[in-house]
Amino acid sequence: MYEFKYANVQREMEVYGYDEMIKSHCRMCHGGCGVYVYVKDGKVAKIQGDPECPINHGTLCSKGLASAELAYHPDRLTYPIRKVGSKKSGKWERITWDEAFDTIAEHILDYKDKFGPESIVFGYGTGRENEAVIYRIANLLGSPNTLTAGHFCYGPRISTSIITMGTNPIIEYENFPKCIVMWGNNVTISNPDCYKGEPFSVALDAGAKLIVVDPRLTRPAARADIWLPLRPGTDAALAYGMLNVIINEKLYDSDFVDNYTFGWDQFIKRVNDYPLERVEEITWIPKQKIAEAARLFATTKPAAIQWGVAIEQQINCADNDRLLMFLMGLTGNIDAPGGQVLYRTPPIVNVGQFGAHAMLPREQSAKRLGGDRFRLASRFAILQPKAVWDAIIDEKPYPVKMLFFISSNPVSTRANAKEVYRALEKVEFMANADFFLTPSAELADIVLPAATWLEMDYIGDFWKRHGYILPRRKVVQIGECRSDHEMLNDLGKRIGQGEFWWDTFEDALDYILQPMGITWKDFKHMDYVRGDIKHYKYKEFGFSTPTRKFELWSTTLEKMGYDPLPQHREVPESPISTPELYKEYPYILITGARQPGFFHSENRQVKTLRALHHDPVVQIHPDTAAQEGINENDWVIIESPRGKVRQRASYFAGMDPRIVAAQHAWWFPEKNGPEHGWDESNINILTDNAYEGLDPAMGASNIRTLLCKIYPETTGVKNE
Amino acid sequence: MNKFRLQFDEHSCWGCKSCEVACRLENKIPEGIKCLEIMEDGPKMVDGKLDFIYRARVCRHCDDPPCLVVCPAEAIIKREDGIVVLNYAECSGCGSCISACPYEAISLDEAEGIARKCNLCSHRVDHGLYPACADNICLGHCIYFGPADKIDEMIRDKPWLKERINQAQRDLTRQLNRK
Repeated sequence: MYEFKYANVQREMEVYGYDEMIKSHCRMCHGGCGVYVYVKDGKVAKIQGDPECPINHGTLCSKGLASAELAYHPDRLTYPIRKVGSKKSGKWERITWDEAFDTIAEHILDYKDKFGPESIVFGYGTGRENEAVIYRIANLLGSPNTLTAGHFCYGPRISTSIITMGTNPIIEYENFPKCIVMWGNNVTISNPDCYKGEPFSVALDAGAKLIVVDPRLTRPAARADIWLPLRPGTDAALAYGMLNVIINEKLYDSDFVDNYTFGWDQFIKRVNDYPLERVEEITWIPKQKIAEAARLFATTKPAAIQWGVAIEQQINCADNDRLLMFLMGLTGNIDAPGGQVLYRTPPIVNVGQFGAHAMLPREQSAKRLGGDRFRLASRFAILQPKAVWDAIIDEKPYPVKMLFFISSNPVSTRANAKEVYRALEKVEFMANADFFLTPSAELADIVLPAATWLEMDYIGDFWKRHGYILPRRKVVQIGECRSDHEMLNDLGKRIGQGEFWWDTFEDALDYILQPMGITWKDFKHMDYVRGDIKHYKYKEFGFSTPTRKFELWSTTLEKMGYDPLPQHREVPESPISTPELYKEYPYILITGARQPGFFHSENRQVKTLRALHHDPVVQIHPDTAAQEGINENDWVIIESPRGKVRQRASYFAGMDPRIVAAQHAWWFPEKNGPEHGWDESNINILTDNAYEGLDPAMGASNIRTLLCKIYPETTGVKNE
Repeated sequence: MNKFRLQFDEHSCWGCKSCEVACRLENKIPEGIKCLEIMEDGPKMVDGKLDFIYRARVCRHCDDPPCLVVCPAEAIIKREDGIVVLNYAECSGCGSCISACPYEAISLDEAEGIARKCNLCSHRVDHGLYPACADNICLGHCIYFGPADKIDEMIRDKPWLKERINQAQRDLTRQLNRK
C-alpha cells in the first residue's frame, strides 16, 4: 500500500516519465506562488504548487495550473510583427527583433529630438513585474510619462501608506489575526497585491472573526460574522462611522494615539462630523450593525483589514485608503504580530532605485501630464490616463507622439473606452509587447512577442512589500519570445542609454542582488529570501514620515494643497449626487468583481479558463429582473450616458435590488480582428473619466460605481 | 482492503474553480463537459438568513451505484477499494447511466459518443498519487481524499490546521528569542 504525499515529485516523475522538474514562481497574476514545473521532451507538461513555498503553501489557482495552455496557445505571438497598411488594417508582417528595435529606437530618438522625451509615453497595465525596467528606460530617456494603473490600483495604497506611516502595512496571516475585515476585494478569488487567498482561508479556519464590507453576498460575506452591504461608493463614510464608535467608546489604543500619532485633536473633530445617524443614511447600513462591527474589530486582538482595489477605483480613492489605515493604526494593529506589519525587503537594489527615478531631471518631472492637478500621484511618478489621451487627441498641453505599452490592453480596462480607442487610433506611433493581439495591440505599429513567466529568469516579488524575494527560473524558450526585461535592456542600449544597461539581463539580476553579496546564480539555488522581521519598529524608530508619527493629519497633503484629513465624497453619479440622472438611469451599476481564471482582459482565449465563463455576465436582483422583463440568461443591454453594452443576465438575490453588477474587461479573441468585439460587452464603454469626477490627489476614476439602465436586448424598451 | 473516499467540505469551498481546472487538465476532458463542477447555490434564504454556498457536482462513488446497475455494456465497475470506474473503452454511449445518477455527475461526451464521469483518478491512485483535485491545490484545503472511515474525522479535526498553527507558534517563538 502506497503512502500518499502531496506534490510527490519523485512519483510524478516515475509515473508520467517527466524529464525534469524545475521550481519556479508563477506570474499569471501579480505573481507570488511557488510552483513545480514538470518538463517532458522539452515542453512544459504539468504545473503544481510547491508545498514548501511560504506564500501559497502548495496551493495553486486555475490560472497557474493552466499556464502551459497559455504558453503554447496557437494564437500566441512568437515573433515580432509590423503593421501593414493602415492602423486598423488587421494585417501584419513578420520582422526580426533587430528590425523591430531599430524602428522603435528610430522613432524614440526622432520624437525626443523634435518634441522632447515627454512626447513618448511608456506604460504597463496591472502590475506584471516589469515596472522596474519600464520606469528605468523612461526616466533615463527623460520622459516623466509612464502610464500605469497606479492612479487607481495599488499605487494609491503605496502613496497614501508612505505619507501616513512610511510603507504599506501587510497582514501577517502567519500569526493568525483573530479578526479580519475583508474590504474592497475577495481575496479567495483574486490577488490584492501582496496577498493570497490561502493564508486568509487558514486564518479563518483557525477561528478568526470575519467582517465583510461588500455590496454583494460573496461566499466570504455569507461566512462572515458581520456582513456590511454598503451602498456602493460610501466606504469613507462607513469607515468614519466605525471610527466614530471606536473613538467615542474609547476603544482605541491610547498609548498609540498619545505617543505615535499626529493630528489627533483635529481628527476627532472630523470624526464627529460623522455620527452614526448620518453614516446610516449615507451607507444604507443600520447603525447598530456599524457599531457592532466597529466594536468587534476594535476589541479583538490582533485584527487586520484585508483591503483591495475596489475602494481605490472611486473619487474617494486616497481618502478611502487613509481611513482604512487609520482603523488599523488606532486599534494598535500596526506592526503587531498577526496584525499589519511594515515588512522589510532583504538588502537589494529596490524597485525605486532600479527604476532610476533619481535620474529624471527636475524640469522634466515638472512636465508630467496632469501633474499639476493630481499632485500625490505625480509625486510617485503616476499619471492619470485621460491626461495622455488628451495629449494625443488635443495635443494639450503638448503632443504625445508615441506610446510603448507592455502588458497593457487599455481599451478594455481604462475608463471611457471610446476615448481610449480614439487616442490609440490617433497616436502617430505605437509599439506593444504582449502574448496575443488584444484589441489594443491590434492598433499598434509594431508588436513584440512577450515571454510568459515560464520563459524567464527573474527575482520574483522584488517590488512587493511583504518582505520576500523568490527566484523565477526559466523553464523553456518559446519561439522568439523575450522577457520585458531583456527587451528593454536591449532597446535601452540602442537609444543612448548604454552605460545604464547590461550585456545580459542576468548581469542586471546580479546588480539587484549585489547588496546581499550574492549573484543570480547563487539565488537560483535558494528557495526564497525574506527580510528580517521586527515588530513594533515605531516604538524605537518612529514612522518614516515628516513628523516621524503616524499622520492622521497629513502634512504632505497639506503642503500639496489638499485637505489634510480624509472626507467622504459622493461618487459623481449616484442617487444622491445626480438625482435627475438617477430618474433616467435608475440602477447603481457596480463593475469588475473578479472571476476565477481571468486576470482583467487576459485568458479569454485559453480554452480551459474560458470554460469557467463562456459569456460576460451581469448580475441582477430577481425583483429587478421581474420589473424590467428580464429572464435568466437573456442577453441584456446595460446603458449609461456614455454608451451601451450587452451582457447575459444572471439572477442574484444577494444584493440590494437597486444594484446591478456587471463584469469587466470582456473582449472576444474568437471574433475577427482587429476589433475582436472590443466594444460589445466592455463595461468601460459606460464608465467616465471627466477630470471633475476623479480623485483629486491620485486621479482615480469611478469605474466601480456609476448609474445605468438595463433592459432586454430584443425589445430595447423596458417595462414592456 | 481500505476503501477510499473523495469528499468536498463544501462549507470551506471558496468557488475558485482550481479543482475543475486540475481535473480537466489531468483527465484531458473535452470542451463542453465537466467531470467536476463547482456550482453556486444561492444566494437564497436559509433558516431566515441570506446564504450562499458552493456545491461540488461530482461522482460520489456510491456504495451501491445506480449507474452500474443500469449499464447494458457492464462498463461500470465498483472496485474493492471503493472507486467506481466508468470504463470509456467499453461504453456504448447509451446514456442510461446519465439518467440514473441522482447527483447529475455523469456527462455525455457527444464528440466521442461516450459517457464521462470522475473516476477518482484511479490511474493516479493506483500509483500512490493523489487525485488531481485533491493534491493540495485547493486554497481552502477543502478536498479530502483518504480512507473512507477516517474522512469525517479529518474534516472535523483538521490535523493540517493544527500543524500549521503549531508551526507558526514555533516560528514566532524562535523569532522573538533571536532578539
